[in-house]
Amino acid sequence: MSDLSLDAMQLDRYSRHVIMDEVGPAGQAALLDGSVLVVGAGGLGSPVVQYLAAAGVGRLGIVDDDVVERSNLQRQIVHADADVGRPKVESAAAYVRNLNPDVTVETYETRLAAGSIDEIAAGYDVLCDASDNFATRYLCNDYCVLTDTPLSHGAIYRFEGQVITIDPGGDGPCYRCLFPQAPEPGTVPDCATTGVLGVLPGTVGCLQATEVIKQLTGIGEALTGRLLMYDAADMSVETVPVHRSPDCPVCGESATIDSLDEVTYEARCTIPAK
Amino acid sequence: MRVTVDVKGEETHEVDLETAEGTPAARSSPPTYAELLAAIDYSPHEVSVLVDGHPVPEDQPVETDEVTVLRLIKGG
Repeated sequence: MSDLSLDAMQLDRYSRHVIMDEVGPAGQAALLDGSVLVVGAGGLGSPVVQYLAAAGVGRLGIVDDDVVERSNLQRQIVHADADVGRPKVESAAAYVRNLNPDVTVETYETRLAAGSIDEIAAGYDVLCDASDNFATRYLCNDYCVLTDTPLSHGAIYRFEGQVITIDPGGDGPCYRCLFPQAPEPGTVPDCATTGVLGVLPGTVGCLQATEVIKQLTGIGEALTGRLLMYDAADMSVETVPVHRSPDCPVCGESATIDSLDEVTYEARCTIPAK
Repeated sequence: MRVTVDVKGEETHEVDLETAEGTPAARSSPPTYAELLAAIDYSPHEVSVLVDGHPVPEDQPVETDEVTVLRLIKGG
């Protein structure tokens, strides 16, 4: 696909992209040549997987160790009622294969860990953090900074969402710049205990998919150096300027994390004292 | 010292650090960002404090009259 040649079927399927000056055949070819690892096939991961597959991202990896539960179906729209009890990666992959034969989907039914992320994530152009726990969020951040891989971060809580793009090659901050350590376990509530508006991850996940597509095609201004905050209750969007921290343990001037082996990715994701 | 604390997604607080609960009125060292957070019932573990968009360590003295607070959220 690197010669920008799209076959007749692809010209038809992606015609609304191809006719856009900003995308065009080259942008669509970049999507078809692109690869994205989606970490989490839940609320955020569902729309990310759906829209990246529809857009024709050529290689889509999906990581998740959960099975579909009935309580997921209020918001995790890549799964269906008949999928209850099925591994999420399986039902998400089935959705992708049914939607777009141009997409090669690869599944990893596991929880991403420091010992496995390199093997799983190596070779993907972009990571999309659609996870629901801090250990995975910090692991994705640190891996992407250390390997210079762009990362889309998204998170949700009740009516609100946060999105930021981390481009380690740019000037913007990483997740650890903003939040150097994970909070004490149990201090930050999750969706299972506080609830979440079902449509919220759809909105936030679509923002993440948008950022991933922009990374792959080079279109527009990336959401780096600013944290987008969306409030569904107020129907408000605010972007907060954020800068890289010189004290950041992974991307700062005197970074202390050189390897994922140096961090304990559980509880507070801290670096043990040397 | 009066500080405007804009907690994104929540309220904006006006905190008088000289009289904030738990902050001694007479002290040898200036109040820290952790004390500022304590005055509005936040733990440094659940938020990040920004001054002009720059994250500041919780143990640093407050040297501004306006800060932004970002809350950690984790759901996915």
